[in-house]
Amino acid sequence: MSVPLSQMWAVASYVVTQRLAGRTRYPLVLMLEPLFRCNLACAGCGKIQYPAQILRKHLTVEQCLSAVDECGAPIVSIPGGEPLMYPEIGRLVKELVARKKYVYLCTNALLLTAKLEDGVFEPSKYLSFSIHMDGLRDEHDEAVCREGVYDEAVPAIREALRRGFRVTTNTTLFDGANPLRVREFFDAMMDLGVEGMMVSPGYSYAKAPDQEHFLRRRRAHELFTQILSGPKRRWKFNQSPLFLQFLMGKRDFECTPWGNPTYNMFGWQRPCYLLQEGYAATFQELMETTQWEHYGRKSGNEKCRDCMVHCGYEPTAVNHTFASWRGFRDTVAATVTGRF
Amino acid sequence: MTDPESLEGWVPEIGTRVSLEEVIDRAFDYRGNVTVVRADGSELEGYVFNRNRDVRVPFIQVFDRAGDGPYDILYSDIRAIRFTGKDTAAGGSYAAWLRAKQASKQRPGTTPAPGA
Repeated sequence: MSVPLSQMWAVASYVVTQRLAGRTRYPLVLMLEPLFRCNLACAGCGKIQYPAQILRKHLTVEQCLSAVDECGAPIVSIPGGEPLMYPEIGRLVKELVARKKYVYLCTNALLLTAKLEDGVFEPSKYLSFSIHMDGLRDEHDEAVCREGVYDEAVPAIREALRRGFRVTTNTTLFDGANPLRVREFFDAMMDLGVEGMMVSPGYSYAKAPDQEHFLRRRRAHELFTQILSGPKRRWKFNQSPLFLQFLMGKRDFECTPWGNPTYNMFGWQRPCYLLQEGYAATFQELMETTQWEHYGRKSGNEKCRDCMVHCGYEPTAVNHTFASWRGFRDTVAATVTGRF
Repeated sequence: MTDPESLEGWVPEIGTRVSLEEVIDRAFDYRGNVTVVRADGSELEGYVFNRNRDVRVPFIQVFDRAGDGPYDILYSDIRAIRFTGKDTAAGGSYAAWLRAKQASKQRPGTTPAPGA
């Protein structure tokens, strides 16, 4: 595992505090979307299809910080849209780091080198660039619907690492992914020197342009088993090993839709990062008035049936780690042995 | 690859074949601007980003074409909704990428243009 000890400790102490306080529903990662604008239009993305006036809008830094304080999660992930297009991304990150939030800035890296050269960011243990990389050159450029993106992202990763930043990758896999190529991709990312990798199957966004390649559950288990069986010792993942076991079909978790709550210009998104069934004005309203029993696989909701995405199941895996000695033991064992 | 099911251009007659609640649900799901006609005949064109039907007085929320708002409009104050704006989720850019990629395969040595 590649998650730094200080970050593990922050998350562990937060979870234990919540459990001791008797809270059954609490957030782990705030998904903060300051804007929907993006400089790519990826085939599997359902996040950026909005009229022009919405794409021109963005949250203020004060709105973002207010949401962060309201939510209280120890980790803040900044997806989007493309967060490096957010005019105040430097100030936002600085404020989050000052609050000792662990920040994952999710970017396609097309603007990263320029931002680094402009001195927009300072290295910190609290800041990690999470670079969107969906595979080796051919697969990545195909996924983002533009030639040359992989070849722009790789030098940006090198530059961020050279400057002392934490760099991770996030990879979404779709039906048709070649397991051997994915394993080669993991090698390539480790060769680059990234701290760790995150993988997840894509969610079947109703609004995504490509509706043909979303993974169904059984196929996802097969694919991740092929990819992750006999993992190389050098591969490092910036996510729970229990979540990876879940992807392989070795564990049967239920979704924790409140684990990664989402805030954007529309408010607090119900019920999760992926489904858009309405918005609450406050985090408290989101938690208290969302009909959580209508979501997750066991609910029978067909929109949740095949979903195995990290934003719902990684919180379950983390909670499982701290729910019993067995969960803790399994996590430690997978972390130490590097086997799933 | 353009979605043949797109509601772009739809002008539903509320109360005959489709209820107000159904039209509002469709407008909420629609990734384009719509024109909301209020009971007093005034119109607001914009993006319906929220609707809440589980409260005592159901309402929708709209950012107008200039991005101003949000404006809250009660269900009871809506006479009609027309799907006047472009459906941004209809898959046009992806279809263009696929076409460009196919063309590049037929012309070796060329690649799809950025943002194709």
